[in-house]
Amino acid sequence: MEVLKTIRPELLTLSQEQLNCLVPYFIVFGGSCLSILLSVWGVIKPKWPVFLVASLSCLLAIWFSWGLIDGTKINLFNEMMISDCYSHLFNIVFLGSALFTIFASLRYLDDEKIQHPEYYVMVLFAALGMMLMASATDLIVIFVALELMSLCVYILVGFRRNDRKCNEAAMKYFILGSAASAVLLYGSALMYGATGSTEIRAILKFVQAHPQSLNPIFGLGFALVLSGFLFKVASVPFHMWMPDIYEGAPVPVTGFMTTGLKAAAFATFVRVLVNLGYGSGISTAIQGHLHDVLWVSCALTMLLGNFIALTQVSLKRMLAYSSIAHTGYLLLGILSGTRSELGFAPVVMYVLVYAAMNLGAFVVLALLASEGDSKLNLHDLSGIAQRHPWLAFAMAVFLFSMAGIPPTAGFSAKYLIFYSAVQANEIPLVVIGVLSSAVSVYYYLRVLVYMYMREPVGSPPVLLVSLWSGLAIASMILITIQFGVLPEGMIDLAKRAVSSLQI
Amino acid sequence: MFGFNSHLLSVLVFLPLAWAVVGLLIPTRQSGPNHLIKFWALGGSIVTFLFGIFLYSEFSTHGDEFQWLETVSWIPTLGISYSLGIDGISLWLVILTVFLMPIAVLGSFEAVEHRQKEYYFLLLALETGMLGAFVSLDLFLFYIFWEAMLIPMYFLVGIWGGKDRIYAAMKFFIYTMVGSLLMLVAIFYLAYQHKVQLGSYSTQILDLYKLHISAGGYLGTQSLLFLAFALAFAIKVPLFPLHTWLPDAHVQAPTAGSVILAGVLLKMGGYGFLRIAFPLFPAAVSLFQAPFMVLGTIAIVYGALVATIQPDIKKLVAYSSVSHMGYVILGLFSLNQIGTTGSIYQMLNHGVSTGALFLLVGMIYERRHTREISAFGGITRVMPLFAVAFMIVTLSSIALPGTNGFVGEFLILLGAWSTNRVLAAVAASGVILGAVYMLWMFQRVMFGPIQNPENEKLKDLSFREMCVLAPLLLAIFVMGIFPNFFLEKMEPAVQKFLNRSSVGLASQPSQVHPTSYAQGYNHGSS
Repeated sequence: MEVLKTIRPELLTLSQEQLNCLVPYFIVFGGSCLSILLSVWGVIKPKWPVFLVASLSCLLAIWFSWGLIDGTKINLFNEMMISDCYSHLFNIVFLGSALFTIFASLRYLDDEKIQHPEYYVMVLFAALGMMLMASATDLIVIFVALELMSLCVYILVGFRRNDRKCNEAAMKYFILGSAASAVLLYGSALMYGATGSTEIRAILKFVQAHPQSLNPIFGLGFALVLSGFLFKVASVPFHMWMPDIYEGAPVPVTGFMTTGLKAAAFATFVRVLVNLGYGSGISTAIQGHLHDVLWVSCALTMLLGNFIALTQVSLKRMLAYSSIAHTGYLLLGILSGTRSELGFAPVVMYVLVYAAMNLGAFVVLALLASEGDSKLNLHDLSGIAQRHPWLAFAMAVFLFSMAGIPPTAGFSAKYLIFYSAVQANEIPLVVIGVLSSAVSVYYYLRVLVYMYMREPVGSPPVLLVSLWSGLAIASMILITIQFGVLPEGMIDLAKRAVSSLQI
Repeated sequence: MFGFNSHLLSVLVFLPLAWAVVGLLIPTRQSGPNHLIKFWALGGSIVTFLFGIFLYSEFSTHGDEFQWLETVSWIPTLGISYSLGIDGISLWLVILTVFLMPIAVLGSFEAVEHRQKEYYFLLLALETGMLGAFVSLDLFLFYIFWEAMLIPMYFLVGIWGGKDRIYAAMKFFIYTMVGSLLMLVAIFYLAYQHKVQLGSYSTQILDLYKLHISAGGYLGTQSLLFLAFALAFAIKVPLFPLHTWLPDAHVQAPTAGSVILAGVLLKMGGYGFLRIAFPLFPAAVSLFQAPFMVLGTIAIVYGALVATIQPDIKKLVAYSSVSHMGYVILGLFSLNQIGTTGSIYQMLNHGVSTGALFLLVGMIYERRHTREISAFGGITRVMPLFAVAFMIVTLSSIALPGTNGFVGEFLILLGAWSTNRVLAAVAASGVILGAVYMLWMFQRVMFGPIQNPENEKLKDLSFREMCVLAPLLLAIFVMGIFPNFFLEKMEPAVQKFLNRSSVGLASQPSQVHPTSYAQGYNHGSS
């Protein structure tokens, strides 16, 4: 109860400095509220104003976050949130992902005849939730932010409301996601019971001061929190929800989920782990167990994700399983983060790169999808390269990047992950990782086979690439190639972000 | 010259790519003649060739080991640098690459009819990848070029290939990828070892040469690292029993693809052994010397035997590649100067003669749309020029004295003899088997009466085709008659290579200069 007493009114008023740190959050929140107002105004058609407000607020918030990235570490709201390089770097990822999702959705929603302004509002609120998640240092705040994000995404997943598959996906996601949130919350409650605090750094301090508090209750709480996170990042054995939901959701939403949602889950996961003293000796007992749990989960995730992806014919499902496989690589990075010199920088870098390439791939898919997200099977791509050389080229770049083939960013990110894992002496896992990524080459290349090496079937309609989607794809290609050829800038950024994580 | 000299190699490597990118701007039609793009690509490859010749003329035999060194820090966090340099070994492989490229481009003028812009773009991009791999002196950079090379080749086989092209392209890509990923893990380990032993990260090959990696038997660190690299290189060579991707890829690839694949890509494997695996892991090399020599010998004999029974000319040539590249491995693992020199020479020979064979097969395929040996017979009567060219290349392939093939195989067998007589004797039978399958095929295709009426109206070589073949035929004789011209520039590099790789060898077998053998042979033949 000690913590409660420490809340003093002066801590709840914000200084100028603290206000500055919160500008990106205010912008996104303001943008969402304005979008809601615009969508019910009724004088003009809401499509364009809401689109513009949403994208502008994302852009503005990115701009401010970028300005704050080199700022000092500032605690907010009685240490429930923190503003540091790490949180602002991830803010940029979330906002970028939201921005390009919005870009990709504009034409898509028209085509699907579901052009409702609420869509953009939901994307913005989800982004806000992610931003809060990555900057939260309190388990309760994390939970609230997670719910803010998840609730919006539940709605987005079911946005094509006349479609049965879509509704099924939304329902499944809602039930399973809520269960996982509940597990996370229950875990937090147990940890609070054991240590008297929900603030992560305070938990660590308490545990370090009172080693006897590492009792089974704490252990159970920790295990539940861990399971909650492993569910959110979709690692084996908590991965079952993912393929169905990815398949059912509208394509841009799937793209948003694989990038924003995944990045948010990983960002929070890493922050919680580091701030709970993972690697810096919270307790050798827990450390060892944690390592074993992550080891098994990592190996299974890499293997299962890649092998099941081999048999998929639906592109969305294939990318869902590939997303699981990438979770495996990320877990490998987390596993070795404490024992390599680069720390968790490879994880951060991989999340950034994965977000870029995956978002790009989904923007392309959103263009290719015809009504009701049908025609997203492999054979529907036959001969695309002859009609749309640039789209095919973009997809090729993203797929090569996901397969980890130089000179793309996917390669340099994977290189870093495996590199730090070798340093951490996780050689068996690295071998599993590289071999399973050799397996992955097959299913990524198979898409290229259909696009480039088969003749088109029938006479499919010529697709019109909207300016906005084109912009999104071009930026993602730029990022993918830029950081493939010259990764140092991003490595440096990731290193700074990770070093700001340390207490 | 505005620092031109210090970026010579970068210019060489990226010239084809830049040329290809500009070529993308040339408007083309979906099908039909597109002369502009063809000649643009030809021009690019010729300019690169001239540039290569310029490099050759500037290369000094007595200068530093690596010339035109170029090192720029690239990813300092991991000690990765953009580091290029060329020595007497890579010089010749670079020359081989730039020499074969214009031929490959000219050779596909009529064979490739659709999507020509993409085709020539990929060919030139492939050249950048190959040149980059040969001149990079940083393992990371080498790996990047090594992998990036796969992408254009994958599309070349997959889009413009034969009936089973997709299967072949996939197999080629995944086979190579599996090998190289383990090599990647080994690269991590080496970079980390450099940090542990010498205090800083580095992936520069010359820095890594200074490492001391504990030997420790067949499962020691050095052996495992060596095997990780060797797997990647052996797949590329390809060494028996990892050769199964090769017949598929060669047979399905378009003619120019086969020429480049056989002519240059296979040399990557041998070059990798030379530049990386041998000097870095000398103890492991001497440990695995015998098994690899045995595998090389098996490849020679097995490849030849399988080639004998092929009904398809192109497949026959593909298996002959397995056999010829077996010699390369045998020579390299003999670990003496003669064997090594012979291996390098054999790599060049194989590039020239197998490249020529694939071109010839491609020419007759364009006329008849079949490659079945049984569909031919009596071709000499209707295509005398073609027959002469084919004869010369055949003789080069079976290593007749006076042609290039003889010098390489002779040196290799000599080198192997001083290391292991039994294997050398067995390998020598490969020469006879080579004569069996090549001459038998030649006889069935060229001589006898014309049995198939379709063969009666075949046109002889056109002027373009003669232009394609002439430089290769010339090279066959020049390399056969004046080997010293080539061996001279290699010699210092080979000596350095042996110094690095010979640690842990019980005794250094025969140190006679290969040039003196070649000299004697020259006198004898003149």
